[in-house]
Amino acid sequence: MEIKFERIEGKTPPFYLLLLVFAAMALGGLVATWWALQKGLAVTGMTTRVPWGVQIVMAVYYIGLSAGSLVISGLYGVFGKIEYKPFARLAVYMAMLFLIAGLLSILTDQGRLDRVFVEPFVHFNLQSMFSINPILYNGHILICVIYLLALFYEMKRTTTVVATLAFGWAFCVHSGTGAIFGFGARVLYESPMLPASFVAAAMASGTALMIVMIVGLFKATGRHVDDALIIWLGRFLAICLLVVVYFLFVENAYRVYVVELREAAIYYLAGGFHSFLFWVGLILIGCCVPMLILFHPRTGKSIRWLVFASALVVFGVLCERYVIVIPGLTHPPELFPGMEVVSAVTQEGPVSYYGSWVELFQALGVFGIIGFLFVVGLKVLRLLPTEARALQGGNNTA
Amino acid sequence: MKRRDVLKVVGGTFLTGTSCAYAVQWLAPSRESRSFEGTKKGMIIHLDECRKNPGCRDCIDACHAENGVASPEDKRWDVHWIRKVQLKKKPGGGHAGDDSETTEGQSILLLCNHCDNPPCAQVCPVQATFKREDGIVVVDHHRCIGCRYCMIACPYNARFFNFRDHEEWPANGRPKRSHGVAEACTLCAHRLDAGEKPACVEACKQGAILVDHIENETDAKKLAKATWGGGTDPMSVKRIRPDLGTDPKVYYVGL
Repeated sequence: MEIKFERIEGKTPPFYLLLLVFAAMALGGLVATWWALQKGLAVTGMTTRVPWGVQIVMAVYYIGLSAGSLVISGLYGVFGKIEYKPFARLAVYMAMLFLIAGLLSILTDQGRLDRVFVEPFVHFNLQSMFSINPILYNGHILICVIYLLALFYEMKRTTTVVATLAFGWAFCVHSGTGAIFGFGARVLYESPMLPASFVAAAMASGTALMIVMIVGLFKATGRHVDDALIIWLGRFLAICLLVVVYFLFVENAYRVYVVELREAAIYYLAGGFHSFLFWVGLILIGCCVPMLILFHPRTGKSIRWLVFASALVVFGVLCERYVIVIPGLTHPPELFPGMEVVSAVTQEGPVSYYGSWVELFQALGVFGIIGFLFVVGLKVLRLLPTEARALQGGNNTA
Repeated sequence: MKRRDVLKVVGGTFLTGTSCAYAVQWLAPSRESRSFEGTKKGMIIHLDECRKNPGCRDCIDACHAENGVASPEDKRWDVHWIRKVQLKKKPGGGHAGDDSETTEGQSILLLCNHCDNPPCAQVCPVQATFKREDGIVVVDHHRCIGCRYCMIACPYNARFFNFRDHEEWPANGRPKRSHGVAEACTLCAHRLDAGEKPACVEACKQGAILVDHIENETDAKKLAKATWGGGTDPMSVKRIRPDLGTDPKVYYVGL
């Protein structure tokens, strides 16, 4: 099966307009970050009690998307499903960009950005998940670069080896990111299940985004993609969603069941805006509706419905990232069991978090940077195939 | 340049860079080589004595003046190395295994617990937060990158962050902190090193705060009895959430 890859021409007005929009977003993000560095993080919505905000939510979201993208490339690279080879380059390139976006989100969130490029390397702390993760992230980017080179030069054996390494590495990356929270002392963070559920949500969101991107890009650039390929990805997404829902159920059932955690569980499930995002954004829009669409015999085979369901999942997992990061902080640690701490001068009980314009611009800026790199990548690299066709007959492996 | 050469250059640069970074770390002198006499430093707060003067905030003012802690009264971002809070019973609060005798409406002083297993130091990616040999947990403000992971990890809500620069820093010779770094009580390590008492201990007219060598709970009970007399019930010397395994070094009489 001969597959040809090519660059997009990239000379149309919409192409330049897209570049301009992404560049403007990136510029806005740079200005917002400069402002935060000048004035301090008080210009963000973060406070003493909620010291992590939108940028950390976006960081874990991007890192998750990166894993999912890599899964799609792994279908060819690891499992030898030759019919998914047309998407492999695009998937690896996106995985790399999302990892860069995750790192940029974390970087722009630091109080002293000037020290970030020196201190973590000189005073490495092996006991900290924050020290271990940058190794995993940077290693992941490096592996993606080698993987991409192997794909570009059609090095089949190297591709299989690097793809397998990337696949395993991605699991470590996403487990490591989940562990930042799961191994923490906060009631709503502390959970050995979190790294595993983090991987499941990452695979769901990444697959969903790839479905949206593949269908959208192929249509926009006038390329043919067989429905059967997208329908199979839809089924894979449905299974990922089932795993996500299962993890969510076990985690919350545990919190409700155990007496010590019940108060925190009630706060999580019925405690304000985050609960609304949990039930409506994640469970209803992000899981139930997409699963109905994906499992329905008719809509599960309609490309339009599949794209719609995937877009809902992409949104739902963003909500999931929010309800992992924020409620764990707004819910106060229990210093005195059965007692509430009150103070006239400090925030002690449950608190609220409202993201600021600065954080919004920073998040849009990071998106603008990877959006710009993505569009430029389509023009300078041979990422897109001329077409993507499913295999005829039962032989689905290379 | 051939593909193989590109890979060699990229790989070589990465390996050289990483090796240099770790070599620097390995060769760098270790922190705190100073030897300390005696055992770990700890604090005992006699809450009954403290509560005799309900509106008093002498220890807080002295601490903030001594350490240049600027609190322009914005609850969201103010830094409080030591703070006085009230306890209120939760609606339907208390559950099985809750043996706390903490009384509703009572005030209590909260500060860094200088844990023997400090989660803040464990998670710090640059070892800016570390435990000295005498057990005092401190932050190197010149190294902190402002990731705020320590604030997340502290189970006592005792760490604060400089969200902004302060124009009204108390001018007492203590170092100013730039915005973007974390901080917490240092148990006035600079005063202890000079053989002086911490500012809060010195300022407390009730004599309710004590800092000394305290290795464990038995030491704390003995010291409390010796300081506040035979009437002190050894059973009333407690710590906040010792069940978390952090081994806090701040003890309370009357908690």
